Amino acid sequence: MEMNDGDNEEFGLSRNYFLAKELRGSGKRSHSKLSDIDVVDEQELIAAVSKIEPKHEKEVKELMNSYKSSYPEWAFELRCGLGLLMYGFGSKKALLEDFASTSLTEYSVVVVNGYLPGINIKQVVAALAELLWDQLKSKRKNPGSSSKVQQPFSSRSVDDLLAFLDEERKNECFLCVVIHNIDGPGLRDSETQQVLARVASCSHIRMVASIDHVNAPLLWDKKMVHTQFNWCWHHVPTFAPYKIEGMLIPLILAHGNTTQSAKSATIVLQSLTSNAQSVFKVLAEYQLSHSNEEGMPVDNLYASCRERFLVSSQLTLNSHLTEFKDHELVKTKRNSDGQDCLHIPLTNEALEKLIAELSQ
Amino acid sequence: MAHSSASAGDSPPPSSPDTTQNNLQHFFVLHKASEKLTCSWKARKRLDLSPTKLKPEKKEWDERCLRMEAFQLVWSGIDSTIKDVLRNMNARVFNDIHSWVRDSFNTNTIKPFPPPSPIVTHQLFTAFLLTKNMEFVDDFLTFQELGLFLKSHGCHVANLSSFDFSPNNGIAGCLTSLLRQFLMRTFDAADMSILASWYSHQGNYGSPVVVIINDMERCCGPVLSDFILMLSEWIVKIPVILIMGVATTLDAPSNILPSNVLKKLCPCKFTLGSPAERMDAVVEAALVRQCSGFAVGQKVAIFLRNYFLNQDGTLTSFFRALKIACVQHFSTEPLSFMLGQLLAKEDSKGLQSEKVVKGASEILLHARDQMAEQTDIPIAHCLTELKRLQMVWSSIVLCLYEAGKCGKIQLLDLFCETLDPDIYTSLASDNPTGIGESLATSLSRDHCMLEQDLSFRKGQTICQVVRKVRDLPAALLCQLLKSWEVLTVDVPEIHHKVKELQALLKFEGGSCKPDFTDVCRRHTSHSPVKIGKSQSINGKAAILVDCMVRYFMRPIECIQCHEIVCFRNVEKLQSALIGDSRKRIQVDLLEFHKILRCSCCSRSGNIPLSSMPDTSIVYTLAQEHGDLINLHDWFQSFKTIASQPRRKGGCKLKQSPLPKRRKEVNESENRSEASIQARFCRAITELQITGLIRMPSKKRRDSVQRVAFGL
Repeated sequence: MEMNDGDNEEFGLSRNYFLAKELRGSGKRSHSKLSDIDVVDEQELIAAVSKIEPKHEKEVKELMNSYKSSYPEWAFELRCGLGLLMYGFGSKKALLEDFASTSLTEYSVVVVNGYLPGINIKQVVAALAELLWDQLKSKRKNPGSSSKVQQPFSSRSVDDLLAFLDEERKNECFLCVVIHNIDGPGLRDSETQQVLARVASCSHIRMVASIDHVNAPLLWDKKMVHTQFNWCWHHVPTFAPYKIEGMLIPLILAHGNTTQSAKSATIVLQSLTSNAQSVFKVLAEYQLSHSNEEGMPVDNLYASCRERFLVSSQLTLNSHLTEFKDHELVKTKRNSDGQDCLHIPLTNEALEKLIAELSQ
Repeated sequence: MAHSSASAGDSPPPSSPDTTQNNLQHFFVLHKASEKLTCSWKARKRLDLSPTKLKPEKKEWDERCLRMEAFQLVWSGIDSTIKDVLRNMNARVFNDIHSWVRDSFNTNTIKPFPPPSPIVTHQLFTAFLLTKNMEFVDDFLTFQELGLFLKSHGCHVANLSSFDFSPNNGIAGCLTSLLRQFLMRTFDAADMSILASWYSHQGNYGSPVVVIINDMERCCGPVLSDFILMLSEWIVKIPVILIMGVATTLDAPSNILPSNVLKKLCPCKFTLGSPAERMDAVVEAALVRQCSGFAVGQKVAIFLRNYFLNQDGTLTSFFRALKIACVQHFSTEPLSFMLGQLLAKEDSKGLQSEKVVKGASEILLHARDQMAEQTDIPIAHCLTELKRLQMVWSSIVLCLYEAGKCGKIQLLDLFCETLDPDIYTSLASDNPTGIGESLATSLSRDHCMLEQDLSFRKGQTICQVVRKVRDLPAALLCQLLKSWEVLTVDVPEIHHKVKELQALLKFEGGSCKPDFTDVCRRHTSHSPVKIGKSQSINGKAAILVDCMVRYFMRPIECIQCHEIVCFRNVEKLQSALIGDSRKRIQVDLLEFHKILRCSCCSRSGNIPLSSMPDTSIVYTLAQEHGDLINLHDWFQSFKTIASQPRRKGGCKLKQSPLPKRRKEVNESENRSEASIQARFCRAITELQITGLIRMPSKKRRDSVQRVAFGL
């Protein structure tokens, strides 16, 4: 029976997929443009986002409160050595922090905000080691750690730090790590996940994490799931808005992404020399006047720039181009004749705006 | 794109500046540990069990501590039993490997003349350990144990895994790891000469140096090759012996390593036990023999089996599932703490047992209302009986398994069937008279009725066992009876019958020689019960199996007070073990009213209403699209729904009163337009966070892509 159910489910999924594909090809597809929407001013939009009226406030609050009765159970599971993994729609940030501050008072709790980009996982591990060290020190005078006490934690290797967190000690001393969005942009890469898995398996660490992405479980292999994280899943939809988690994600109606990229390009260009700006302008003007072409051949650009006394040698031009490429202002493509062409990955409107701003 | 983070400051949650600051930090300390009483063994010893002395506010805490303590006791028992079982299974291979290591080391150090030892040709002694298991996770522990085993026999051991052989770090990665493990230090510049000089020191020299690579197939080939070549160059100074785990076949090394590297290896092969064998051994020790008293109900057992066979296939996952079941049992079942008391009592040979039972019964009265009808039965008696019946059940299951072994019957299948309360109750209802009488009647039957009785019900595996017993050759039957004799020592009724069958077998002159003294002695003490008069020995053995199953194999769920030891909540276990985030998050969005229980949206069916959460409206609308959703159309449909007036009884909508002046009209329209756009943006962002849509790309600026089709 179970197998049949599974088969049916799979059949349903593939059927839906092909139906959806068919719908796309059937000619019913709409060709309306995003730019047809009369979008209000960006600042006004951002202000409006911050003033969105919450819906079902009462019910959401009741739902959140209903989870309080599960706190003892969660704490029990955590003490038994399982990791807690919370999922379900809605921001779980407030829920997890409330759980940690009410039920995990006997542990030191470190919160990691996985929704922020650029988290340095080594710093997190070093902070954990530091905290454990403090805790052990306060419990007795000689925490009995390895001989490398004199070396500061921040300068030790991750392996050393993990070994310190995993060291067997007589006294039960735990740290709890709460990770919001363990599947977030700052922690999503496989190396970070490996380190997190090793952190979770340390004898002095307990981990509580939340996921929001439907494919988050794909981040972990069997070893990580079964032996390191030791997840115990809990479905806790909160329907609380993802205010904080979504704050770094650009708004879809904020002029597509063109304004954003034009703006960031302007900022980068303004930090460069006036010659570099002029070289960019030459390229931009060419692209506007030859919008059907793949881009501007490098030789053409060199010739134009030399004519205008912007560069004196190929070498100078190349140094400008490297700068542009590093900031993703320019991309190289090969055209049908085999020539390397330079291309600015912006729309014509954005380019015009950019040129106007540069000329000011 | 990070510039849009400007919006972060504009939309702070209603919280203190401190919290806002914390939200923008990569990590922060929420609070430090308080000096509160924790559930530890020492703390427990100070606890008085007598509930009369407990203050009400402290009682709950103490109960939780008792359950935590019970869990620790039970789980450490299961954990160590499973590890012992696996260790014993590997013991033979480990011993073989150790003697090979010794031999290889001696060949390396004592250079016989004239035959050239591999050291002259710069060859490394290498053992390929075939794991017979593609799931490497199951062998992780095996390699750790192997390392510890060799260390305990005086070898220097380092365990490396495929992570040490990554192309990013190259050979430096594995060298650093080697130095870390041998010298217990980290070096900035990892160099083989450091290792060689370490080995030349007094105390290190003279013992074999073994490097274990857990998962050879997963290593980066070039890095592994370099590593082997480097070791072979240094072999005169430090004669390293390699052990590599191979999950597939012996072809794997030749597929990964070039021939010049293969030439540097002097190989040898060892093989580990298969996953199925290990699984049976673990089930036997942990669940059938019940090393720690913890048991699972039939539904949980079936779930565990299906999870192992269909979903994951690793012993490690089974182990984790068992742990979660155990944790959930102790966290949700109020009576579970008594299991800990029972075990503790056994350990201390009845110390304070009366006090414990008295205290427990009192707590029991408070703890469990539904047990009220059973309170007239002394709890101590209940527990003793529970233990006895469990032991009998366990003996019978092992007897059946022993019989089924020749027919390749998996213990896991048999285990699930023998836990089935339906089989027991249906067989028991056929025999309304007392056990003693029915047993005698059944034993004197002419043939085994079990297959007939079970034919319309479940119990296929048990029937297979009966058939197997009936077809068993005499020699094997003799062996089977011998093992039954040992297994049924604690069940005298069955034990006697087994002995009688053994005697009969000997009389009939099977492969065993008759032992007249033993038979005569028994004949004087017992009158022989005639098992199936007209039957062959095999038939009689089958009748005995029938009686075992019918009268002695009482599943845990049919025993009084089973709640104390038995975990039955399969739904809870399943949801904790397998979180189906892909399905559940979509269901949350589409059927949110079931979770929020609001009155305003519950009757809408599939039609989106303005009172629904914006993300739910947007996602419900998305269901009508193909794999691409045009953003413009999507926004327009959202706008239509969002601008509808909300239903009565729903959440309040601030409908602007009819404006008198045109300017005001425009302003409020503008405001509502901005607010609708903002709500749409937020909903899309939330869908983006859940990963249910793929955002517009440069090629398709005007549409997003759907990721999930159906639940």
